[in-house]
Amino acid sequence: MTAILQALASGLALGAIYGLIALGFNITYATTKTFNFGQGAFLVPGSLVGVSLVLLSVGKPHFGNLSPAEMTFMAYTLATVASVVVVGLIGIALYYCAIKPFVGAAGLNWVLSTIGFGIILQNTALAIWGPASIAVPSPLGSGVYRIAGAGIRPHEVLIAAVAIAVMVGLDIVLRKTRLGKALRAVAFNPQAASIVGINVERIVIIAFVISSALAGLAGILIAPVTTASVFIGLGVALKAFSAAIVGGLTNPRGCMAGGFLLGIIEALVGLWRAEFREIAIFLLIIIVLVIRPAGLFGTKTVEKI
Amino acid sequence: MGQHLHTLGLGAILGALAALPFLGINDFYLQILFTIGVNYIAAAGLNVLVGYAGQKSLGHAGLFAVGAYTAAIASADFGIGAWTSIGLAAITGAVFGLVIAAPSVRVSGPSLAMVTIGFGIVVEKIVTEWTDIFKGQAGIYGIAAPTFLGKSFTNLHWVIFVGLLSVGLHLLFRSLLSGRFGRAFMAVQLAEPAAESVGISVVRAKTLAFVISAITCALAGALVAQQNQYFNSDFITFNLSIFLLVVVIFGGSGSLYGPLLGAVVLTLLDAWLARWPALQHFTYGALLLFALYLMPNGLAGALSRFFPARSNMAAKPAASGALVAAFTPGNSGAPLLAVSGLYKAYGGIIPVKEVSFEISPGKVHALIGPNGAGKTTLLNLISGHVPEDRGSVIFEGKDITGLPANRVASAGISRTFQNLKLFGHLSALDNVLIGAHLHVGTGIASALLGTPGNRRAETKAREDALALLDELGLGARAFDPANSLPYGLQRRLEIARALASRPRLLLLDEPAAGLNPQETRELGEVIRRIQAAGITILLIEHHMDLVMGISDHVLVLDYGEKIAEGAPEAIRRDPKVIAAYLGVEEAA
Repeated sequence: MTAILQALASGLALGAIYGLIALGFNITYATTKTFNFGQGAFLVPGSLVGVSLVLLSVGKPHFGNLSPAEMTFMAYTLATVASVVVVGLIGIALYYCAIKPFVGAAGLNWVLSTIGFGIILQNTALAIWGPASIAVPSPLGSGVYRIAGAGIRPHEVLIAAVAIAVMVGLDIVLRKTRLGKALRAVAFNPQAASIVGINVERIVIIAFVISSALAGLAGILIAPVTTASVFIGLGVALKAFSAAIVGGLTNPRGCMAGGFLLGIIEALVGLWRAEFREIAIFLLIIIVLVIRPAGLFGTKTVEKI
Repeated sequence: MGQHLHTLGLGAILGALAALPFLGINDFYLQILFTIGVNYIAAAGLNVLVGYAGQKSLGHAGLFAVGAYTAAIASADFGIGAWTSIGLAAITGAVFGLVIAAPSVRVSGPSLAMVTIGFGIVVEKIVTEWTDIFKGQAGIYGIAAPTFLGKSFTNLHWVIFVGLLSVGLHLLFRSLLSGRFGRAFMAVQLAEPAAESVGISVVRAKTLAFVISAITCALAGALVAQQNQYFNSDFITFNLSIFLLVVVIFGGSGSLYGPLLGAVVLTLLDAWLARWPALQHFTYGALLLFALYLMPNGLAGALSRFFPARSNMAAKPAASGALVAAFTPGNSGAPLLAVSGLYKAYGGIIPVKEVSFEISPGKVHALIGPNGAGKTTLLNLISGHVPEDRGSVIFEGKDITGLPANRVASAGISRTFQNLKLFGHLSALDNVLIGAHLHVGTGIASALLGTPGNRRAETKAREDALALLDELGLGARAFDPANSLPYGLQRRLEIARALASRPRLLLLDEPAAGLNPQETRELGEVIRRIQAAGITILLIEHHMDLVMGISDHVLVLDYGEKIAEGAPEAIRRDPKVIAAYLGVEEAA
């Protein structure tokens, strides 16, 4: 029972990460019918830029190990902000290089161009940071909370709290603000949005900045759990993609719910047989899609004949 | 590419293969040639799926694994001979192709990408983790290679074998894709509802494409395992799936020569860059990022500018009788089509509410009503494009209720679409040939082998199609892409495509929409000629002059219900019809 509680807690934390990235997929997919297939590579600068800044601030070279004392809460907060800003800006480059030439065109060229952008980003990171991974201490220390006998790491609570706060915040922004309305207008009909004076390209760029920034945030949040390295991204991003598809790529809340669902399933299956985690998850996704092609919370689009 | 150029190219390749033993090429270059061949084999099949049927798979590493492990386990655990193992690999590949097609044909777009990625990752994890059978990273050793004169294949033998296999596959695909099946794949890619409307089963076409791609990827996997005599789970990664897709798309998907160009260029690039691993990855990234921007149709598309356009095989239109219908009217008083109690609701909106009517053979029937009356939905229910909630449709005494659109089409009902659904960049002739899909009598085997029977059927279909185009005044534009025709001719081309499926009942959804008065008059003529050929017509139309001029019987729909039917003159005076169109003053 305690093991299950423990798994649930880490599943929630992991699911929050998937949900954040999946939400990013939703925001760009809604506005452009494309998203960043190379999102995994965006987690890499997300974690490494922040960690290197902390390292440099305590007078160490940009690559090395941090002692727990050096990772203060303040330092981690600043690192997070820096990561989000840097990766958000990379999102602008992504839009101009990999998305803009292919938006609206039939086919899957945008899939390959975003994967290509990701490969370049990842290998740039490889040239700067090398292949080794950096152990990143959590600002909350390595202690364990005991809740009903289950050991829960404070960083997992932090991940879930930050991610949920960001999701709720974005949900409110999407629903209530002018920007959110503009985003939804572009998503619904770019031509009509343009007619009423919305600068569609600006909105689309904002969508890619938000999406990339979310990946950067996910990268720095998850670093204390996975360590920071050039190779952390692909697996996480693939599961986030699965979360978006299972929840419904067209529904932001569905994407978040999909993330939590996947994180929890992954943790529970891992409790039973760790090596079956991916097999179980992806088989489940295939089954879900066969039964509900638009995802659990997605709306089916009926093609008008 | 011209016939001569093709023969020349094949001759050059076969000549090079024959000369290979005397050139003293070292193992390094032989290995590169082998890799080119294997990549081509995998990509050639994947191109059928991606380039022709339009299904984007990001999981074909899984099928590569199926072939490789079939060959490896057959040899290492069961001592099965190398040739038999290759055959087994192709068979298991086909079986797994069916397995992955089953969920894949139900989804599209990003969900399809997800299903295929999921399949690839499940296979990758199974071969990595299930070490009892697949030996994981440790790998399977001692995989037997085929023998030549009692000795295991050397690299030289491998290159010649793979080269011959590639040439063979190329010839099979060339025949398959230039005919009935190639057109059906393109139709599915370009407009699924239109493909269904002429009797092409979208599910079957996609499944066939998946199986073809699965077989060639499994073959490639088996060949790599045997040539290596060793195989482990490190081969099977998401990156391999991406690489296979890149070979197809960078080379030029949907082009017969794309996979060849992609395999040659990417394999050479890979080998050349292997000295600088860091640069290698950057190059891949840059290639993915910019190549498609500069060459949207891949290398093949970029190179095709330097070759003259494919010369169109000389085919004369058949003498006459293109509009012959199988139905001879007047055999009895029985209705051709009987619709009863048809009902369809989308949530609270009920576009078709308990509609019943009959259509008698040989006549022109018009279906009219204000916008939003449910006319198109009713047509979609009859043609099988939308499933009904309840009610029945009987055609020629046969219950066709609930049949999918392609089965309705093969029963003898064909249609056009309100929003044109032509196969845009295919020629007018190809559009009509796709329409004739059900009547090109050739099976998959004879289409692959290009048998004389297949060629006869194709030639016959071409002649019939040209005759039909001539008869509808489109003869001069037969080889132009459909989307380059003026709008009025595009509408007429849709009618030609529908007629090519030799329907007994033709459904026309607003055929005069967007036509000028002259074109509308010509359309009336065309409809009369179709009727004269014995084909029954049901048309939706707003153009009242046309409706009153050509129809024998008029049905009026309003708010999903049939409010009147009868002869045009009677309908014109019916107070209910006038009220529906013009509104009435409420009695105070």
